[in-house]
Amino acid sequence: MPLLAIENLAVSFETDEGIVDVIDGVSIDLAEGETLGLVGESGCGKSVTALTVMGLLPKPAGRVVGGAIHFDGRDITSLTSEELSTIRGRDIAMIFQEPMTALNPVHRVGNQLAESYRLHHPEASKAEIREESLKLMDHVGIPAAEQRLDEYPHQLSGGMRQRVMIAMALSSKPRVLIADEPTTALDVTIQAQILELLRDLQNEYGMAIVFITHDLGVIAELASRVVVMYAGRVAEAAPVDALFASPKHPYAQGLLASIPRLDSEPKSLLPTIPGVVPRIEDLPDGCRFSNRCAHARDACWTDKPAIESVATDRTVACLRWRELEQQAAASA
Amino acid sequence: MTSYFVRRFLLILPTFIGVTILVFTLTRLVPGGPIERMLNEAALAGSEGGAVVSSGFDGRGGSVLSDEQIAQLERYYGFDKPVIISYFEWLGKIFTLDLGTSTRYTEPVWETIKSRLPISIFYGVATLILTYGVCIPLGIVKAIKHKTVFDNVSSALVFFGYAIPSYVVGIACLTLFAANLEWFPLAGFVSDDFDDLTTMGKALDILDHAVLPLIAYLAGSFAVTTLLMKNSLMDNLAADYVRTAIAKGMAFKRAVFAHACRNSLIPLATSFGNTITLVITGSFLIEKIFNIDGFGLLGFESLVERDYPVVMGILVISSLLFLVGNILSDICVAFVDPRVKFGSGGSNQ
Repeated sequence: MPLLAIENLAVSFETDEGIVDVIDGVSIDLAEGETLGLVGESGCGKSVTALTVMGLLPKPAGRVVGGAIHFDGRDITSLTSEELSTIRGRDIAMIFQEPMTALNPVHRVGNQLAESYRLHHPEASKAEIREESLKLMDHVGIPAAEQRLDEYPHQLSGGMRQRVMIAMALSSKPRVLIADEPTTALDVTIQAQILELLRDLQNEYGMAIVFITHDLGVIAELASRVVVMYAGRVAEAAPVDALFASPKHPYAQGLLASIPRLDSEPKSLLPTIPGVVPRIEDLPDGCRFSNRCAHARDACWTDKPAIESVATDRTVACLRWRELEQQAAASA
Repeated sequence: MTSYFVRRFLLILPTFIGVTILVFTLTRLVPGGPIERMLNEAALAGSEGGAVVSSGFDGRGGSVLSDEQIAQLERYYGFDKPVIISYFEWLGKIFTLDLGTSTRYTEPVWETIKSRLPISIFYGVATLILTYGVCIPLGIVKAIKHKTVFDNVSSALVFFGYAIPSYVVGIACLTLFAANLEWFPLAGFVSDDFDDLTTMGKALDILDHAVLPLIAYLAGSFAVTTLLMKNSLMDNLAADYVRTAIAKGMAFKRAVFAHACRNSLIPLATSFGNTITLVITGSFLIEKIFNIDGFGLLGFESLVERDYPVVMGILVISSLLFLVGNILSDICVAFVDPRVKFGSGGSNQ
């Protein structure tokens, strides 16, 4: 049984223009200790999926309208916010995209770190908390931890702040860590350090990581399995090597084709996926990718593609994937 | 940071001189003054029942005082010298803490002001405490219960109070609760028999007299601060760090108080120092309606009576309070927001 199982999740948002289905039938499994990459363009529902797992949907606009999220055998979508508080931060922790704003600017770093430790270890003494905080800061590679604890977030660099966020998330030794684009706001060199850190910490703590990003390079480096999302649905889910070797969904193909390669002709035009993700209010009825897909046929506009199994541990949601694969094989 | 505040304090002096020199010059330029007043009084006294030539300026030629006496008076009040000289003479006295003598009461200005201060401070502090005491909790509740019935009704009420001028509230309260229903005394700060009362009785007497004026003072003062608190808290509730706190496992209510509230007080802190000075100066309209001998009424009356030493004395105190209040605001902001570093090299993110 997977540790975390998102089953046919549907989330809708109430907007000024009516109710929109932001997440439509998303199913994702996460095994104990694995690293899952969640990729897709901005606005495809990656973060909303993560926030739903955390029970952090913006209220009252966002609502779970279908499906379930099973964690450790319990459906967490049906828990009260008090029950959820015992899972949040303790079993499932999350780090965010913007380390600049995710920390409270008016509280000292040490207090914010101590706070998350105290929430899940209410019996701990002040000295214990301080000691544990120092250990955590040291663990996430913050030099001069003693001094840093007494500083405010604005006195730290972006990379250091993200390390503090990671330290806070790790304070209760969670079983699942959701990292929502944790390196997007950071310099490239710092990105590599943070990724390295997350990998080391995973080896040590053995937690499962859901890594949300739009950077396929990061996925290749870190994840063992990938879920490609498009406009609130799962387009393709596959082990990372299999996806990179032969993407089945035209959207996944497009994403991979738009990565610059060392063996491509210098200064040649980089392939892109034409168009942009449609506004969530006017998505196509059938396959949501149909208006941007080079292979779309009439049926794609009207029929919602089912999630089909390609191989063990591999699914795709495209009406024409078999056909396209045969075409590709024939032309090769 | 310290050097910033030292600099700010040093800047008080030139600002103070600028303010006072302006008003001092104005007092010389506007018609009327102690001599004219005296002339009128003398004329009244000299021609009992007879026709009185009022309006001192033009009537000077045929006045009861001789030119020599007038010149003597001008010397006495320092009107014989150029404005700038008499200004610096006045300023020199200020530095020795001598505010001069009231031309109306013929007693030291400081004595006149001092007798009004306790009343003004009482109303000022009461208004301050009640305003913040109501606005901050109300703003918090309104932010959490945004768009509920409670939120809408309380918004309507505070804006209703804000829309009515305070003197109208004062008059309406006075007519209804003091004149018609006779629940509260009509006017004054204390009753006539105040000195005969016990300590408890004195306290109750002051409170009894304070209810209606305080309502008039407060009616309009809730809207701005409450809405500021509410909007600021709502911004902060949507902030990433509140989400972080909840993601850590903190209950929403606790996250509101532990994380969002302090950050929401920052905009309020920027005006806190000024609030102090504004309430001490009081409102002459409300003081007039309720016949309270406070600062506002004193300032108004001394202006009407051309009692310039008192006008200048009040200006000295209120401008100093205002200047210090500004610095106080800065200190408040630095106190609640560690990111604020005044002076060179500080990065305000």
